[in-house]
Amino acid sequence: MTALYALEGIRKSRGPVFSLAIPALELMEGGIHALSGANGSGKSTLLSLLAFLDRPTEGRLRFAGETVSWNTRSLARLRRQVTLLHQSPWLFRGSVFENVAWGLALRGVNGGTRRTRVFEALEAVGLSGFEKRDAQSLSGGEAQRTAMARAIALEPRVLLLDEPYSGVDRAAVETAESLIASMPARGTTVLLTTHDTAQLARPGGNIIRLAEGKVVSAKGAPSCAVV
Amino acid sequence: MDFLTDSVRAALVLILALDPDIASAALTSLQVAACSILLAAIPAIPVGLAVGLLDFPGRRAAVLALNSLMAVPTVLVGLLVYMVISRRGPLGGLDLLFTPSAIVLGGILLAGPIVATLVMNAAEGADRRIIPTAMTLGAGPLRAGLKFAAEIRLGIVAALVAGFGRVLSEVGVAMMLGGNIRGYTRTMTTAIALETGKGEFGTGVGLGLILMTIALLVNILFNLVLQRSRP
Amino acid sequence: METIARLLRLIPAAILIGATLAAPGGVRAAPPEARLRLATTTSTENSGLLGVLLPPFEKKAGCRVDVISVGTGKALKLGEAGDVDVVLVHARELEDRFVAGGYGVNRRDVMYNAFVVLGPGEDPAKVASSPDVSEAFRRIAGQESPFVSRGDRSGTHLKEQEVWRSAKIVPKGGWYVESGLGMGEAITMASEKRGYTLSDRATAVAWRGKSRLAVLFQGGPGLRNPYGVIAVNPQRHPAVRHELALRLIDFLTGPEGQAIIAGFKADGEQLFFTSPRRNH
Repeated sequence: MTALYALEGIRKSRGPVFSLAIPALELMEGGIHALSGANGSGKSTLLSLLAFLDRPTEGRLRFAGETVSWNTRSLARLRRQVTLLHQSPWLFRGSVFENVAWGLALRGVNGGTRRTRVFEALEAVGLSGFEKRDAQSLSGGEAQRTAMARAIALEPRVLLLDEPYSGVDRAAVETAESLIASMPARGTTVLLTTHDTAQLARPGGNIIRLAEGKVVSAKGAPSCAVV
Repeated sequence: MDFLTDSVRAALVLILALDPDIASAALTSLQVAACSILLAAIPAIPVGLAVGLLDFPGRRAAVLALNSLMAVPTVLVGLLVYMVISRRGPLGGLDLLFTPSAIVLGGILLAGPIVATLVMNAAEGADRRIIPTAMTLGAGPLRAGLKFAAEIRLGIVAALVAGFGRVLSEVGVAMMLGGNIRGYTRTMTTAIALETGKGEFGTGVGLGLILMTIALLVNILFNLVLQRSRP
Repeated sequence: METIARLLRLIPAAILIGATLAAPGGVRAAPPEARLRLATTTSTENSGLLGVLLPPFEKKAGCRVDVISVGTGKALKLGEAGDVDVVLVHARELEDRFVAGGYGVNRRDVMYNAFVVLGPGEDPAKVASSPDVSEAFRRIAGQESPFVSRGDRSGTHLKEQEVWRSAKIVPKGGWYVESGLGMGEAITMASEKRGYTLSDRATAVAWRGKSRLAVLFQGGPGLRNPYGVIAVNPQRHPAVRHELALRLIDFLTGPEGQAIIAGFKADGEQLFFTSPRRNH
């Protein structure tokens, strides 16, 4: 079985300092993977690479068996399978509906289907009835959930979540957790980062620990392994 | 004292009488400024976005060039365009000199750097998350760029208004390239220069007031619209 | 509500595009009617003479005359470049050089008026009582009274330099101001400085009551101001509208044009004269 992601000798440097150095790491398709580590341990950098938004300084990244060539054309194609949700997401100007529908429109999803999927996604995050609200007028929590709806509406193969539970109140954490827990059943592999060790036990998947840009441990094999 | 009040009185009479020469000059001014800004925007907005967003070798030089071009005196722009479109110049055969198109050509060169620089500033000041967000939602570079432009549209409109104002208010290019021909290439600013030269200060002030009113109306209009689209 | 807001957003764009498309005075590289380009001096345009002189010609010839009013020096330069079709200027020496250089053909005398010396009413340099214009200039220089020169190679500026030469004076010093301005602006400046300046009569009459200057010296052969019209040489610039230019020259020097010039009055005063006789 080929790994979903396979990293070989990946190094990412900012200036003279390596912010990420991973000799080998594999991530299997399916399930929920957690990436833990203190702030500055390289979690966000790794997520950017896995979302194909940033390229490594050195090394090879394979996605579903295909070596990523980092050219504009193939990146655009790969990005359509992977969606990253930032820790403090940016909402576009316009309504909540327009935000959630935008990625679907890019993919050529037609009007009726698009509408249905937007409404389903908003319902999943508990924002039914928010479609016409101005995205810029939402509270922090509502904005976070709108961004979540925008990501899951795309039904991506991989959903990368950067600190999905930070700055969210208790009740919302539970909603988010159950939503995330339901993703693998819909065919989406989830990789989330957290610096809160208490959260780690709860997703109940595989855990990769990062420290100073290096993988310290990976457990929960076989879906995740340091080779 | 009398001098000033007389001038203002003459100005009001002029406005109320709706003099056809003045109407023609006002229309020419507006048309020339509108054409200039529309044509300048086509290259200037993409250039401003590119310089503001991308990191490429020579970027600092491009920023410097844009900033310097903003400060080029209008008369120099007029002179350069004159040398190109004069019958002795490379484009002499087009017979552009002393036509409104000649002023538009100069206006494009005046407005372009302003629009590009202001768009660049808006792009640099925009949120860093816009482009990655658009891309992770599946946009290629072009669609992401368009989405980015839509997100900073307030800044882009402000840049266009500034460029429009520059063309509307300048006199050097309009005089040199248009020739201040009555009913044809006479703009509000060249008409003011002419009336001042004739000692008709009242008419000059009147034209100035009309020009200010036009500029004010355009600005109010854009501001109203911007406020509506503001969150 | 949302639709209204959307429509409102389109207004500026609509105005821009509308203004661009609305025809008159807009971008017209090739106007429907023939246009003859006449470069001339500010004195003929600003006095209002061309406003009455050209419309009858435009009607007869079925064309528009685009008047570009600049100084004589620049008008001739535009002619040299072939950027205009015909010039109406006042600087005989330069005109002759223009024709001799092969830039112009068919030069004709059109009219003349005179230059006058303007100055403050109290006349500190006693210009009004001088026997001739050279002496008047010598007195101004002797008193070091402010003198505003056009300094722009216009016909008036060339005449002024000619007078200084005849007075055997090289004007220099703080009192001699090389302004680089048009006639009207130079009069304003001289008025503010309580100084003297040389002006063509037409402009001086037009400025009566708008400045604190008075005509202090006029008349004499040294101050004649003849205007000539020259067609730009079509051999050098094939694109010029030579035929129309010749028609304009015929009109200006023919009976109809001459009658209009002689009959043109501003402030009840005749400004331009057609027959070669002395003014005063």
